[in-house]
Parts: sequence; structure tokens; C-alpha cells
Amino acid sequence: MKQIEITYDDRISRQFIAASIIFGLVGMLVGVLAAAQLSFFQANLGTSFLSFGRIRPLHTNAVIFAFVGNMIFAGIYYSTQRLLKARMASDLLSQFHFWGWQAIILAAAITLPLGITQGKEYAELEWPIDLAIAIVWVAFAVNFFWTLARRREKQLYVAIWFYIATILTVALLHIVNNLSLPTSMTHSFPVFAGVQGALVQWWYGHNAVAFFLTTPVLGIMYYFLPKAAERPVYSYRLSLVHFWSLIFIYIWAGPHHLLYTALPDWAQSLGMLFSLMLWAPSWGGMLNGLLTLKGSWGKLRTDPVLKFFAAGVTFYGMATFEGPLLSIKSVNALAHYTDWIIGHVHAGALGWNGFMAAAMFYWMVPKLYGTKLYSRALADMHFWLGTFGIILYVVAMWVSGVTQGLMLKAVTASGALQYPSFLETLEAVKPFYMMRLIGGSFYVIGFVLMIYNLWKTVKSGAPVEARLTVTEPEAVAHVPAGRLVFSKPIAIIFVMLGLLLGFATRNHGHWVVYLVALAITCVVAYAWSPREGDYSWHRMLEGKAFLFSAFTLLAVLIGGIVEFVPALALKQAVPTENAQRPYSALELAGRNIYVREGCYTCHSQMVRSLVGDTARYGEASKPEEFIYDMPYQWGSKRTGPDLHRLGGRYPDLWHYQHMLDPRATSPGSNMPSYAFLKDAVLDTNALATNVRTMQALGVPYPAKAVLEAEAQARTDGERIAAGLKAQGADVAANSELTALIAYLQSLSSKEKANVSSGISRAE
Amino acid sequence: MSDHHDGIEEHDNHLPNWWLVTLFGSIVFSFAYWTYYETLGVGAAQAQELAGEEAALRALREKSAPPISDESLLALSKDQKVVASGETIFKTNCVACHGMRAEGSVGPNLTDAYWLHGGKPMQIHGVITKGVTEKGMLAWGNVLGDAKVRDVTAFVLSLKGTNVQGKPPQGEKDP
Repeated sequence: MKQIEITYDDRISRQFIAASIIFGLVGMLVGVLAAAQLSFFQANLGTSFLSFGRIRPLHTNAVIFAFVGNMIFAGIYYSTQRLLKARMASDLLSQFHFWGWQAIILAAAITLPLGITQGKEYAELEWPIDLAIAIVWVAFAVNFFWTLARRREKQLYVAIWFYIATILTVALLHIVNNLSLPTSMTHSFPVFAGVQGALVQWWYGHNAVAFFLTTPVLGIMYYFLPKAAERPVYSYRLSLVHFWSLIFIYIWAGPHHLLYTALPDWAQSLGMLFSLMLWAPSWGGMLNGLLTLKGSWGKLRTDPVLKFFAAGVTFYGMATFEGPLLSIKSVNALAHYTDWIIGHVHAGALGWNGFMAAAMFYWMVPKLYGTKLYSRALADMHFWLGTFGIILYVVAMWVSGVTQGLMLKAVTASGALQYPSFLETLEAVKPFYMMRLIGGSFYVIGFVLMIYNLWKTVKSGAPVEARLTVTEPEAVAHVPAGRLVFSKPIAIIFVMLGLLLGFATRNHGHWVVYLVALAITCVVAYAWSPREGDYSWHRMLEGKAFLFSAFTLLAVLIGGIVEFVPALALKQAVPTENAQRPYSALELAGRNIYVREGCYTCHSQMVRSLVGDTARYGEASKPEEFIYDMPYQWGSKRTGPDLHRLGGRYPDLWHYQHMLDPRATSPGSNMPSYAFLKDAVLDTNALATNVRTMQALGVPYPAKAVLEAEAQARTDGERIAAGLKAQGADVAANSELTALIAYLQSLSSKEKANVSSGISRAE
Repeated sequence: MSDHHDGIEEHDNHLPNWWLVTLFGSIVFSFAYWTYYETLGVGAAQAQELAGEEAALRALREKSAPPISDESLLALSKDQKVVASGETIFKTNCVACHGMRAEGSVGPNLTDAYWLHGGKPMQIHGVITKGVTEKGMLAWGNVLGDAKVRDVTAFVLSLKGTNVQGKPPQGEKDP
């Protein structure tokens, strides 16, 4: 038998670890700054580049894609090579992946503070960067699957399953959600508007959490945790069941971000139910992690690596219990748009991702440098500072979220809102913003200790080249793919899916077709099914990497397709008589400023079908009111009030004063000043391009609208400026502030400024 | 030590029963929920539910609203307790546009004798309740509720003739 020596490429893991740590620190510090701004509006240092609406996306993108992204790549490269007994297929592609990814992060760090954004959460980066992400990701995928093809270990371990799911699904999500039509190198309009935009965005957004922050880290858990604990994985069949159920169910759950919105009821119900069904599959991962540690509880006391793993997995369990809970409609009615959601994501990001990263780094770095961890005591201190910080943070956000949620919907005995002023509710939660700031800071201090500790560790060793001598595997009996496809498990899955679809459709005519098709599939499948042998069906599948990947892709595609197809058909079903009118050229320019400044990070544009919302903001928002909103701006958090019914509520002068100094009109507000918009000159060259691009996306502007865009915007701007001047406010007709006011006054206006004033209007 | 999976071994323990109960329980619940709300449509749709809640709120308001007239409002404007309550409401909601001392800023001065939409108690009450959207005056009826609108009307009426120095008069002089 032939012996071969493999040298693993660990340099790439060392590079990704360094990048993860550096960008992790930056991302967290930006988070601290953003948190500080909620307590002290002056903390933007008076510059638009650091205003909350611009750096909040920088914080989320940095933490997700730079900190966790680099961390998972480090773990994937390290474990994949060892689990496949093969060096990565191409060092060039690995290096391209590394440097490309860092270039993307750098581009994000430059463009986001400049206000170059698509205005969709975690998908803020503009189209040229999106394109770069797609290219780098594909390079990573090619390298990974190429290595898979050259593996010397036939059976794929569960960690590899999770990596496969990650690589395929992230590519799919990223490409679909970022489909857009550019107007320039730094701006684009997405192809999906309003309700469709929201649905696609949260299919993406929720699954960024699923397939970027969860599945790869589960894969990492399955490799590093048993390694560090030196214990066998608790249960193979649990990993099998929870892997498939997790990836299949996760993809459906996106609409739980849109409960009580203008999204059709059925899609909301799907989102809620699949989120509930996600509870057990998620806890399957937690159980396999924690029960693997069973038997090494003694080591837990002394080994910081296991400590971080145990706590990280526990936080995962906590966050994945809270997620389904928050998806229950009646809970969501209270919690959505409040800090509870912020607390929830930080339990996941700080507790699960942050601690899993720490555990992995503390285990890996000494191995990669052939030395021992510099200080266990420091790592312990990191652990306790971090845990204390997370608890402080999460508790603050729970209390704040529940308090504000209850206050916003409180009604007196005489049927009026108990706290009619939004600012009263903000005042009530301000102490918790301080508490969160302190909690977050503790966490960062712990992280800095880790950096020091790892730095000293690196200094005490030198990069190691890991080698392994293996026997070239013998050829194994080949199982034809057809026998795995036409098999009992697949037949059963088909039957179940068909029944589900038939059950879900109210049109009973479809039933018959489904059942006949199913019957045929079953007969064929049974006829072809494999003989019972030494290997079970799934064991055989684990030996066939590409079939495995194809099944994975199918599993994640089903949920998306079932939700999208009817929702896209909705476009035709929208009643046009009450539909939104297209934005005027000036309003559109104002809207772009609204998007650029990240107003959606604090303001929603969605009056939910809840009496607390309609009493405060007016008539519930309807799907037809957003058909020209590209991107949709429903938001996910209300640090300030909803704006969908804002148009015509206040005079232009109020907006003028509010933008110059929010506290002049709204005492106690923590909104930053947008006085700089008054001096910023509107880019009039973009007006016609914007209208033309919108036209190309199907917005029914009259043919001359493009030609007249500039003149029309000038007339509109002059009218607003003249009106303001008459009231003693001096602003140029072509200032960005004028355009923004035009947009804000157009909100919810149907033809005329139709102001909804709540329930009595329906009478 | 196993040669496979880089030395990681896997046990094959049974799935915990409580975990299976959670998994299948949530699936069964989902079927029941979907049948109830979507397939059979027995459960109320969101729009229906909202309409019901709004009607309940409306009923509450109508029940709690005592009949008002020019005279009753004028009488209330002399009631120190009501005026004090109205002043608190004014300070929270109205000063942004009408100024801390009702001297006017975005909105008109409320302390002079001039009124844009009439100075009779019921007229003022009407403007506060329904708003004057084209001028930027909000409709406060739904926000504050009848009791608070009544109190704040009483407060505004109590300001009559105080003539605080501020925004110049607008509208017609009230006789």
C-alpha cells in the first residue's frame, strides 16, 4: 500500500485568525460607539460619517462578516483538511479568498461611513462590493469542493455537512437578495419592491443568521469541541436528524421578522410555525455539544477552552429558545421593534459566536504555533468579564424592550393612549441604554485580554507545519447514485412534502394531481430502492459528496420557492386604486438621502395591524402602499416613532427645525442633528438617472418624466424653500434638506397629502 | 483511537424522549394552527382582529366622553384642577409647536385674541380633536382621548387674554 505524506496548509488559518481578531475588536468598538450615541447623541462627534444611521450598519457588517466570517474560515480551513485528509486543493484560491475577503471588509469600512448603502439590513454593501463578495465566495466554494473531490477519507463527517450547507446557501441568499439595477458606481435600486423586497430581505437576513452565524459554527463545534474535550460525540443519529431538520426548516422562518406587517397572513403564519418547529432542531445541536462534554465536567473547571465551549453552546440554546418564543405572534406584537430583539441577537452574537470563537482561538493558536497558552488565568478573566458583560447587556435589553413595548400599547380606561408621546417611552428606557453600554464595554475589555494573551502565546512559539502520513485509500465498492436517489428515504420525503403542499393549498383540485404524482414516484422509488447492506442509506450518502451537496441544496431551496412564488404573484393581485403614486424626482432624491443616512436603523415605516400601532400612527399599512419602494424601508427597530403616516402631519418648518436640532421640537430626543443637510447641495445630475432606472424597474412614470426630472425637482424645491422662507427659515431650494422634507411629506400620501389620523378616520 | 474523522469518535445514543416530544409536538401544533387559521379560516384574520380591537377602543371612548358644550368647557376653564391637568398635557404634547408659554412658534400664539379657526370653546375643541392637517396641526383626539382633549381645551381657554409676547397675531379677532 502506498504511503503519502500530507502537509496541511495552516498558514491560511493563522491569517484568518489574525484578521478575525483585529476586525472583531474594531467591530465591537464601533458597537460601543453606537451604543454610546443612544445615551449621548453628541457621541457622533458632530460628523455625519459617524452618525448612528451609518455606523450601525458598519457595526453589524463588521461583526457578522469580518469577525465571525474570518473566524469560521479559520476553523473551516483547519478542520476540513484534517477531516478529509487532504491539503486544500489550491493555495492560490485560499490566498485569493483571504485577501479578497479583507479587501471587501476594507471597502465596507470606507463606504458605509460615507453613506454608500443599499439600505437593507446586513446587505448594505453596494453592488460593486456585492459582486466582489460573490466572486470571492465562489473561489472559496471551488477550492472547498475541489478539496472534497480529492479527499482521502470517503465518509464525510458531520462538520463537513454543515460547511457544505453554509457554502451553498450563503451563495444563493447573497445573490438573490442583492439583485439590483445600478444608477452609478455607488448607488443602485433593488429589483424587489415593497412587500416582495421585505420578504426576500428577511429570507436573506434571517438565513444570514442561520447559514453564516449558525451552521458553520455548528460545524466548528462538531470538530473542535470533541477534540478539546477528548470525548466522543454524544450521538451520531442526533447529528443526522438535527442537521437535516435544521437546514430544511430554517429557510422558511424569515417572515417572523414581518409579523403583523403588510405581508399576507399566510406567509406570516408560515414564518411563525416554522420558527416554532426550529426549536427542537436547534436544541439538537446544543444537546450534542453539551452531552459530548458530559464526562469531562472536571476539566471544565480548569480548561478555559471547554469553559468557553460550554457557555457558548448554552447561549446558543438560550438564543434558539428565545427565537421561537419571539416568533409567536402575540409575543412578537410586544417585542418587535423594541430592544428585546437587540438583546436576543446579542445573546447569539456575544454568547454563541463570540464565545465559540474564543474557545476555538484558545485551542487552535497554541497548536498552530507549537506552544502552550500564555496564561490560563487571563483566559479565565476573559471568560468572567465576557459572561458578566453579556448578562448585563441582555438583561438591560429585555427590561428596556418589555417596558417600551408595554408603554407604547398602554391604553387608559377612557380609550386613549396612556403615553401619547413617543419620547416618554424613550425617557423610560434611557437608564437601560447606559446599562447596555457598560455591559458591552465589559465584553470588549475581556476581548482585549484575549488579544494580549494570544499575542504572548504567538510570541512564545513559531508557526508549525502540520504533517500526516496516510495510506492511500483502497478503492471501495461503488454505489450508483441512482440507487441513493430512488430510495425509500427520498420516497418518504416526497410523500411528506406533497402532502404538506396539498394540505397548505386551499384549492382542493390540486390535491388529486399531487396524490397521483406521488403515487407514481413512490412505486418507482420502491422498485429501485437499495438492498439492505452493511451501510445504511445515509452512511452511503455520506460517501458521495456531490449527491450530498445536491440534496442539501434541494432542502434549502424548497422553503424559499414555496414562499416566493405566491408572494411574487401578489404583485398582480395588489389593488391599484389605492396604490401608492410614484415618487416625484425630488421626493425620490430625498428618499435616497433617507436611505443613505440609515434612518431605517431607528425608524420603521410600517403601521402594524395592532391597535397599539393604529391608535398611535394611523391606519394600518397596506401592501399596495409600497409598490414603488425600492428598497422597502420598513425597518426592524423603533428607537424613534414610525414614519409611514408622517406625510402632512407636521408643517415643513417643523421638519426644518427638527432636522437642524431634533431637541428643539422633541425635547429629550436622542436623534443626531442633520444640520449638515442644509448646506449639502443636492446632486441634480442623478435625478434623471434615478427616474430612468425606476422606469426600467417598472415604475409607471410618464415618458417625459426623465427629461423633466431636473426642472420638476427645481420647481418643487423652490416651492418648499419659498414656503420656509416666508416663515423665517432660510434654506436653499437645491439643498439636500429640501429634498428630504419633500420625501418625508410624501410618506403615505396618496395623490394628495392624505393624512391618516387614526381610527376616527374610518368613521 | 479511530483513524477516521481525525480521531473524533461518535457514539450513537438514542434521541432523548423529551426532545422528540418537542420536535413532533411543534409539528403537530403547526398542522393544527394552519388548519384553524388558513385551511378552514375559522380563526380571525389579522384585519378582522384589528377591526374588533379598534371597535372596542372606540366604544370605550364613546362611553367615557361626557357631553360637552361651549358653556361646559368655559366652566371647566375656571376649574383649577382641570386647568392644571390640561397644562401638564400641553407641556408634554403641544409646546413643540406652540411654545413653552403658548406664545407660538411653528403654530400660532394661543394667548392673544386672534384665532385662525375660531375662538369659541367648541371650535378650539374641534381643532384639537380633528386637527388642521393642511396647516400641520395634528389630530389629537385619538392620541389623547376625550378626557385629555377636554382638559387641554380648558387650559387653552384659560390662557385667553394673557397676551404673552411671542408670535404676532394670526387670523381673526375673536369678539
